[in-house]
Amino acid sequence: MAAGSRTARGLRRVPQSGPPRERPGEEGPKKKTRGRRIRQRFQVFSLGQGLDMPLFVFIMVLLAVGLVMLFSASYADSYYRQGDSYYYIKRQGVYALIGVAAMLAISTFDYHHYHKFVLPVAGVTILMLLAVVLFGRVLGIEEIAPSEGVAVRWLNIFGIQFQPSEIAKFAVILIFAHLISLYAGKMHTFRYGVVPFLGVLGLFGLLIFLEHHMSGTLIILLIGGAMMFVGGTRPRWFILGISLLGAALVCYLLFGGSYQIDRVVGWRDPFNAPEGVDTYQTRQSLYAIGSGGFLGLGLGQSRQKYLYLPAPQNDFIFAIICEELGMVGALVIMVLFGVLIWRGMYVSLKAKDRFGMMLGLGITFQVGIQAVLNICVVTNTIPNTGISLPFFSSGGTALLILLGEMGILLNISRSASVEKT
Amino acid sequence: METMRKKAIGLTAALVIIGFGAAAMSLFYWQIVRGEDMRTAAMDQSLRSTTLPAMRGSIYDATGTKVLAQSASVWTVVLEPYFIAGDEEARRTIASGLAPILGLNEEELYEKTGKKDSYYEVIKRKIETETRDAVNQFLVDNEIDSGVRLIDDYKRYYPYGRVAANILGFTGLDGNGLEGLELYYDDELSGTPGRMVSARNGWNLDMPFEKEQMVPAENGNDLVLTIDETVQSILKKYLAEGIEKYEVKNGAVAIMMDVKTGGIIGLSVSPDYDPNDPFTVLDEKMLSDIEALPEEEQDEAYSAALNLQWRNKAVADTYIPGSVFKMCVGSMGLEEGLITEDSMWMCTGGVHFEGMKDPIKCWKHGGHGSTTFREGLCNSCNPWFMHIGDLLGAETFSKYREAFGFTEKTGIDLPGESYSIYHSVEGLGPVELACEAFGQNFTITPVQMITASCAIANGGYLVRPHVVDRIVDPEGNIVKTADTSYRRQVISEKTAATITDILQQNSESGTANGGYVMGYRVCGKTGTSEKVDKHNEDRTKPMEYIASYCGFAPAEDPQYALLVFFDEPGGEDVENSSFTGGNKVAGPIFSKIMEEVLPYLGVDAQYTQDEYDQLDLVSPSVVGKTLEEAYKQLGDMGLTCQVIGSDWDTSITVTQQIPESGANVPKGGMVVLYTEGFDEEGTLVEVPDLIDYDLANATYMATIHGLQVSVRGVSEGTVSLQSIDPGQKVKLGTVITLTFAENINTDGHAPELDE
Repeated sequence: MAAGSRTARGLRRVPQSGPPRERPGEEGPKKKTRGRRIRQRFQVFSLGQGLDMPLFVFIMVLLAVGLVMLFSASYADSYYRQGDSYYYIKRQGVYALIGVAAMLAISTFDYHHYHKFVLPVAGVTILMLLAVVLFGRVLGIEEIAPSEGVAVRWLNIFGIQFQPSEIAKFAVILIFAHLISLYAGKMHTFRYGVVPFLGVLGLFGLLIFLEHHMSGTLIILLIGGAMMFVGGTRPRWFILGISLLGAALVCYLLFGGSYQIDRVVGWRDPFNAPEGVDTYQTRQSLYAIGSGGFLGLGLGQSRQKYLYLPAPQNDFIFAIICEELGMVGALVIMVLFGVLIWRGMYVSLKAKDRFGMMLGLGITFQVGIQAVLNICVVTNTIPNTGISLPFFSSGGTALLILLGEMGILLNISRSASVEKT
Repeated sequence: METMRKKAIGLTAALVIIGFGAAAMSLFYWQIVRGEDMRTAAMDQSLRSTTLPAMRGSIYDATGTKVLAQSASVWTVVLEPYFIAGDEEARRTIASGLAPILGLNEEELYEKTGKKDSYYEVIKRKIETETRDAVNQFLVDNEIDSGVRLIDDYKRYYPYGRVAANILGFTGLDGNGLEGLELYYDDELSGTPGRMVSARNGWNLDMPFEKEQMVPAENGNDLVLTIDETVQSILKKYLAEGIEKYEVKNGAVAIMMDVKTGGIIGLSVSPDYDPNDPFTVLDEKMLSDIEALPEEEQDEAYSAALNLQWRNKAVADTYIPGSVFKMCVGSMGLEEGLITEDSMWMCTGGVHFEGMKDPIKCWKHGGHGSTTFREGLCNSCNPWFMHIGDLLGAETFSKYREAFGFTEKTGIDLPGESYSIYHSVEGLGPVELACEAFGQNFTITPVQMITASCAIANGGYLVRPHVVDRIVDPEGNIVKTADTSYRRQVISEKTAATITDILQQNSESGTANGGYVMGYRVCGKTGTSEKVDKHNEDRTKPMEYIASYCGFAPAEDPQYALLVFFDEPGGEDVENSSFTGGNKVAGPIFSKIMEEVLPYLGVDAQYTQDEYDQLDLVSPSVVGKTLEEAYKQLGDMGLTCQVIGSDWDTSITVTQQIPESGANVPKGGMVVLYTEGFDEEGTLVEVPDLIDYDLANATYMATIHGLQVSVRGVSEGTVSLQSIDPGQKVKLGTVITLTFAENINTDGHAPELDE
């Protein structure tokens, strides 16, 4: 693998290094590549050079809509709880600006360098996850690892509060992309195609599980599983894994006591939930969704955000979108996510190498899985679990990480053989 | 790489299509299918609808200035436990803070704050301004902005208390009318409550950017009554006097009515209650009866007593009219041309009917002999009226009975009007007809009787009795006025005039002379009805009577009719009581009421020479003057005087006089002058019992006691009433007013009424 010698910035290094080496079968005819690069000569200093414009536009549109909706959804709640209607939007706005800048910067940074970052990223992430478990679970130091109910998800160091599990998602994507590109051709074997991945997933999954962060664990597993599946792990292992997980789930439900059954019943009929199952948030979410009807109450007109729906700026922001913009608006948002995911996948598939492709796909899967799961939770399609909606939910570091990942995706697009207008 | 691409495309497509597809289906279900439910539920939790109570209209008396009933703002304290149930500290603060302010039990209040599913728990109703301010202060001090609410409400006040209680009625806790006019005119008085719909956020605070939608309350209309508070008070005063004097056991009624409009000017009944506190039994006898009962029966008895005191006896109860009814039967005979006032009939003291062992007797067992109809009515001769009944026949009698309004409700605007009980045409055999013809064996309401008497007084027209003169909306516009049109003409003006003339004679020199009013030509008819059916139920008890007097004045142009009746007068020992007859019991009260009410209503007294001579003088003020001046002043007025104390020098100053300045003194009477140094004890004398003396003897008795007498009304017969009770100590020279009336039970024994 000579990935390090290639660059997404392309032409800057062309005069010195000559035509890049190619792996046969991966790229189009040499002549065509040359022709395109000559065109790019005149865009050397442009940040937009080589960027996949549709992808960039979808990201910016989602971010813009997300900010508008965040403001609309949050101002009532933050007025009452924070004493400032602009509390969330100011923070989110600042992070978005930084995030976009970071995204553009990162998009100029050749993704092949990330090969070198695999071990440090993995190490730091594991340390942070361990720190959460250590300070939160073992030592119970609230200043460093504040707890919310049973879960301890946050780490508070150097004045920044963030969820190491968010970083862990990227870490897993990075590690998996690295491993898949490393084990190309051996992915069908158990030794290479299953064991290392299972080891990584097991370690991260366990650490996040110890945080009592179920949704985080689930998302990591899904992302990892999807990447393995695409990367070439044999389907039989998935059948086995899914069967084992299914059996474990059934056992959990059967032996986890009637409370778990009650939770399922409460999910199916949140308005007649069994005693002890709190479906308040779901009910308020459905009130919001139902109030919206087909065309919605209009931007800013939500009633449910007035302290009825808990944390409307966060996991349940989509309910406020449904209430204000109606079914039409909600479908438009879903379509926006759909095209972003599709374009992300498309760009990734056009990446010049396996690493780029898997890295891009991993990032795309992450956005896709989170968006789908969040919307399914809000609409009570699946049971309630804390998953934020990318680009929409409030959360500065999460947005920063997301935009950073978008930067990587854009960088992949620069070198991908895609029609970028 | 190609398989990887395929897998990636497949996986992404699956994720997006299945994931978003499922979500879209959920959206369709919750937004479109269940959308309406969700919207409604969301609205329900965020919209608070508050009822804005309408202010109940006021009730004014006929003068339009006296408020008989009005509402004032009060507040109801309501808990919203839903918002505080989870907050232990707030619950405790509220319970411990509000309990002392509202006078509630702290623990019970604390329990109520924990009802987490409730938005509305009334903890105290109708608190007044001071308490409300205290509650508000508490809420502000403790920064409680949710969980406790004050709701506007109104409380009803009756400034004149018992005066018109049974007419006005009262209202319940939620302001709805329960009795009387409050009930009858509830729709007019209550107005339309308004609504305020306000959007609240999850903390139960008003939504900042949404306007409240308000439908303002429409306040109720006011009632202006035909009842005059002054007249009402006079009726009440004398009714109470009569009840006490004549030991009346079963309540009493006095109704005064405008004969031309049917407007009721006063309607007083006993027992009564205080509408400000309707759930307290006021009658002392009823209370002592209840206390005498075993414990477990007391509650029931108490509520029965409450119902009794809430009843409007004038409307809801029926009675046997007795001889008062003869004025109607006489009218029927005259109107049909069957008799004239000079027609003759022979009364032998009783009439024998086929199939009856005993004859139906006249009250005068020896019989009145051969008399004219005029004399017959003045004598209240029963056989005369049985004769009229016989002449009329059942059919004609029934026709007039119906025409006079005895068979239908009068339609008076008071709740609970009772139906009368009488024999149908078919049921009116000779005996039944004879009995009804002198007013026995059927029952009517007092209002029906006075309405019929109004028809005689006003020239033959049956009016609509009513209590409300007009309904006025809150802006002062008249919404509705009483229908003062006649229901129908019952008898001709000529017949009415004849009966009026006879009744005037009756009140001056007939059996109804107890109702004579000096200075006024009063028409009257007595009634002493036997409570036959009650007697038949328990023969061991003596026959009880209803003593009534119905009449109108002035005879020249009758304007006001008055019916007074006392139910079961004569105390426990009725058989030996001289106070059972209408003339002796109801007559004087009728007279006193008329004497006081007529001048107030603007009917001036016109004294005949005889009356003028009999009229008392007004005692002049001589206190502070010298004896010489006093002698001269009194001498000029034809009064004599007696000096008690030093009188050796005519320049001695008078320090006191009896009768006092402004009090009545009989013509040619005496004023006792007190000067310095008289013996206080020695000047007090005991009032003798003058009842049943004739005038000469009564005057003699008074004189030897150093007292003077003055006569009210006619002075024939014996004294029935003296203004100062026997045995009381009064100052020398005090004037005792005497009333003369005969106690005649002017009703024959009648057979049992079968319904």
